[in-house]
Amino acid sequence: MKIKLELFGASREFSEKNYLEFSLKEKSSINDLRNEILSFIDKNFKGNNNFKKLVESSKFCSEENNIVADSYKITKDQKIGIIPPIGGG
Amino acid sequence: MLHTKIIDLTKEKIEIFNAEKFIASSKCGASIYFIGTVRDLNNDKKVTGITYDSHDALVIKSFEEIYQESKGKFKFENSAVFIEHVKGHVKLGETSIIIAVACKHRAQAYDLSRFIIEEIKKRTPIWKKEHYENKDSEWLKGNPIKSS
Repeated sequence: MKIKLELFGASREFSEKNYLEFSLKEKSSINDLRNEILSFIDKNFKGNNNFKKLVESSKFCSEENNIVADSYKITKDQKIGIIPPIGGG
Repeated sequence: MLHTKIIDLTKEKIEIFNAEKFIASSKCGASIYFIGTVRDLNNDKKVTGITYDSHDALVIKSFEEIYQESKGKFKFENSAVFIEHVKGHVKLGETSIIIAVACKHRAQAYDLSRFIIEEIKKRTPIWKKEHYENKDSEWLKGNPIKSS
């Protein structure tokens, strides 16, 4: 499955584009996606600890605009948003 | 009655008169305007501006959920709520958010306005990148989003 990970807030530092793309196995979960992102950080940012902490403390948003749990199964190609800790207002 | 909007500063401005127009009602005796602005100092750093980022669809969804919850919690009749938040670069002293509420009585208006801003802080996916006098900038840490 192809996942387009939309970047928001501090996660925008992960790429000059607004998104990252990952290929996941069928029936992968949000937790699997999180691990893929952590591997991406290891590979491209020498395991930058701040970036890894950011990923670990982030939630994820489905294409239907719902915040989804780590156990949520991704069943199709889709866009998923990474939602780092928030601070608006 | 609810109005919500993300104001993309590359296309338009956030304007208080839109809030005044929306909440005006002869059924309400109290109006409160909460206006968030960029202040000059944060964590001992001199701030020159903030860039706001947002997940637009989730932001609007959170505003609607907060409004619905407020109706259940307070059960005020004839209240009006106007919420706009900017995205993009905001200079020192400029407005980032307007929350305007109108209710029958002042205590209701204060309660409702406070509830809305506190819930936005907890659950609305908006991020701030602060820009400093020394030309540095950084994304603020924030808090994990509270899902409804």
